[in-house]
Amino acid sequence: MAAGPYNYSYIFKYIIIGDMGVGKSCLLHQFTEKKFMADCPHTIGVEFGTRIIEVSGQKIKLQIWDTAGQERFRAVTRSYYRGAAGALMVYDITRRSTYNHLSSWLTDARNLTNPNTVIFLIGNKSDLEAQRDVTYEEAKQFADENGLMFLECSAKTGENVEEAFLDTARKIYQNIQDGSLDLNAAESGVQHKPSAPRNAINTDQPANKEGCAC
Amino acid sequence: MATIQEQTADTSSPSSQPNNPLSRKLNKILDTRLDNDKEMLEALKALSSFFSENTLRNRRNLRGDVERRSLAINEDFIQAFQQVKEQLDSVYEDVKGMSECCQDMTTRLKAAKEQTHDLINQTTQLQTESQRLQMRAQVADAFLAKFQLKPEEVKILRGTRDGALHPDFFKALARVKQIHTDCKVLLRTNQQTAGLEIMESMALHQESAYERLYRWTQNECRALSNESPDISSQLCLGLEALQDRPVLFRYSLDEFGTARRTAIVRGFIDALTRGGPGGTPRPIELHSHDPLRYVGDMLAWLHQATASEKEHLQTLLKKCNNCSNEGTIQDILGHITEGVCRPFKVRVEQVVVAEPGPVLLYKLTNLLKFYEHTIGQLLSKDASLLGTLDEAHVLSSKMFFNSLNIHAARLLDKVELPPAELGPTGPLNQTLQLLKDVLSSHDSSVVSIDDRQKDFSKIMSSVIDPLIQMCSLSASKLTTVDMATYMINCLYTMQSALALFEYTDQRLEMLQAQIDAHIDTLISEQASHILHRVGLASTYGIVQQHQPKQGPLSSIPGMEPGTLKGAIAKFDSFLSTPDGYILQQCSLLQSTTVRETTRKRSMELIVSAYEELYTAITNPQNGYKDPQNLMPRTPEQVKHLLI
Repeated sequence: MAAGPYNYSYIFKYIIIGDMGVGKSCLLHQFTEKKFMADCPHTIGVEFGTRIIEVSGQKIKLQIWDTAGQERFRAVTRSYYRGAAGALMVYDITRRSTYNHLSSWLTDARNLTNPNTVIFLIGNKSDLEAQRDVTYEEAKQFADENGLMFLECSAKTGENVEEAFLDTARKIYQNIQDGSLDLNAAESGVQHKPSAPRNAINTDQPANKEGCAC
Repeated sequence: MATIQEQTADTSSPSSQPNNPLSRKLNKILDTRLDNDKEMLEALKALSSFFSENTLRNRRNLRGDVERRSLAINEDFIQAFQQVKEQLDSVYEDVKGMSECCQDMTTRLKAAKEQTHDLINQTTQLQTESQRLQMRAQVADAFLAKFQLKPEEVKILRGTRDGALHPDFFKALARVKQIHTDCKVLLRTNQQTAGLEIMESMALHQESAYERLYRWTQNECRALSNESPDISSQLCLGLEALQDRPVLFRYSLDEFGTARRTAIVRGFIDALTRGGPGGTPRPIELHSHDPLRYVGDMLAWLHQATASEKEHLQTLLKKCNNCSNEGTIQDILGHITEGVCRPFKVRVEQVVVAEPGPVLLYKLTNLLKFYEHTIGQLLSKDASLLGTLDEAHVLSSKMFFNSLNIHAARLLDKVELPPAELGPTGPLNQTLQLLKDVLSSHDSSVVSIDDRQKDFSKIMSSVIDPLIQMCSLSASKLTTVDMATYMINCLYTMQSALALFEYTDQRLEMLQAQIDAHIDTLISEQASHILHRVGLASTYGIVQQHQPKQGPLSSIPGMEPGTLKGAIAKFDSFLSTPDGYILQQCSLLQSTTVRETTRKRSMELIVSAYEELYTAITNPQNGYKDPQNLMPRTPEQVKHLLI
């Protein structure tokens, strides 16, 4: 039986955070639809999108929760950090204020997610080089100091967007392989799909899959 | 040969030259052209072979010899021919035998042919028959291939004892279905019996297959009760196939719904009480002291769970192309999310009933309303989770207004006397602060503008109306001026509090109207106070009421030039220090604008009163001598001084 697009081994839950207008929804849209949304309305509360990707031969479904950046939604969006396996923290390279707020976003992310959550820093709007307000080196240093992964992307051109989402997934998958992410625990943000017992993961997993995929 | 020739010569001679036979002979011999006569030459050659010696005897006996030879040759010839004849005879015999044999055979053949004729006919018939039968066999085979299941297919359909489905089950099932449909074509031809029988047997197969499929699907669905269900493509195929049996399809989905329902109830309770790995993120209940966060976390969890469940359902039904798919999904989703309603409701009710105060209640109400809208995008309107959210929202909103009303009732219960400076009282300020908190928390909420507007007017009428009532009550024992001042101050405070918010225009207008009314009172009080102080009040009254038929003003008591002069002198001193004549209450007005307006408008009143007086005095009909001296200032001068 052909493996349809719905057949996947894991679900990873992501959350996208960052100031208003940095392009969170556009990044999501670019990633899920491969299109740039020119006049994207403000997100109300939270929205979500999905896409199935492949990491190390494993099909993984990403369930991505895109939060509203407006301050008034902060109380609402905070509740969505719970159970995210990956957090994409976005700032706008043409607006320093959005970069300056990163530490508060990071505090939120660290406090509200589990310790294994992979946090990925994204400097969006890299296509607007002329209006750049935050240098790559500065942000890179910030990322390194805080142990974050980092890329500059453009939701408009699509540059590096795919990479940011996929790199996060790779890192999470690696954490699972290392055993540092415990799938048995609730709210790890990762759901393991095969019907095989949950503690029998990793190496014997592909075999299982073949066995029951018919 | 030679003999023959000689004979010929002999016979011819007597006819040609009868006269001399010898000469004729000689002539004849001489005439003979020997070299031309091949026969002669041959004869001579043959003669020379046995006429070896030319002796007399030989010559005499030549004729005899030749004749003898001829005889011998003839005898030989006869002998040879005898042989030939004998051989011919034997050949003849043979041929005759053969002929007889042939004849015999022909006869026999004929007989045989006659005998086998029937057989051949029969054979031919049989052959034709056999061909026909072969054809029929092929047709039958094809028919069977088309209309019957292969044994292995039957086996697949019947399945194994453990209930597992063979991977080709669906192919076999599809074939059964195909055959069943094809039977309808049979029924249209004259093969109705076969059609009916096959149809019946296929229907049986189908029934048992569907039953098995249903059992299997049911079991599979029942097993999907862990947090993230593994929906196999086989299960999807199963549901696709079950679409033909709506009841079974529905039952299977119900089974799935029940399993998922259990799963999310468990997940919800886990999230509430156990939290993430190693306690991060912390269990939701750990934040129950912070109602907003507690309820918000629960709602967000429910939102995410609902979205995930919807995806699971979409995965499950991806192959089902029924038109009512969306409706089915919503239906089942409603069922799945029904389980969490109770635990959620109980917790929200606890929070709401604990009376966390109006501001929090208001925030909770808005949060609930927001999620009712957000989760409502995933569910159908009649889903019980939405019902629960709505109930919670209504309860919270009721509690909110309830607490506002209680607050208001308490205000009216215990009305404080206005303070000496006639400013707003403590309860008023506190209540306004509360209102501000409530309204500003609306800013951070997420509800649609329509709802917001509706809420605002309701909130304001439950706060502002009692406030105004309270102020009026507390002002009831005051003097007119005090009351007006106090009311203006209170209303003004309310107005400036409300002016910060949207959708308050109507309220502001109403407050302004009330303020204006009180200002009018204050102005007229102020003006009459001044007129009294300068002693022009009665004079002004007389002038206003004076009719020409009463005679000139100067003859009316109290309007004597002397009295007037004294009053005008006092008025002059007022003009030099008008501020000394301002009511003490007016300076207690908190708004500078209002204070200024009051002053200005009361002065205007004074000016117009003065003008009226002036016009009356300077009117010659009123019989004042030297009015210029009596009232040295023109109204313009007074106006200039006062305003």
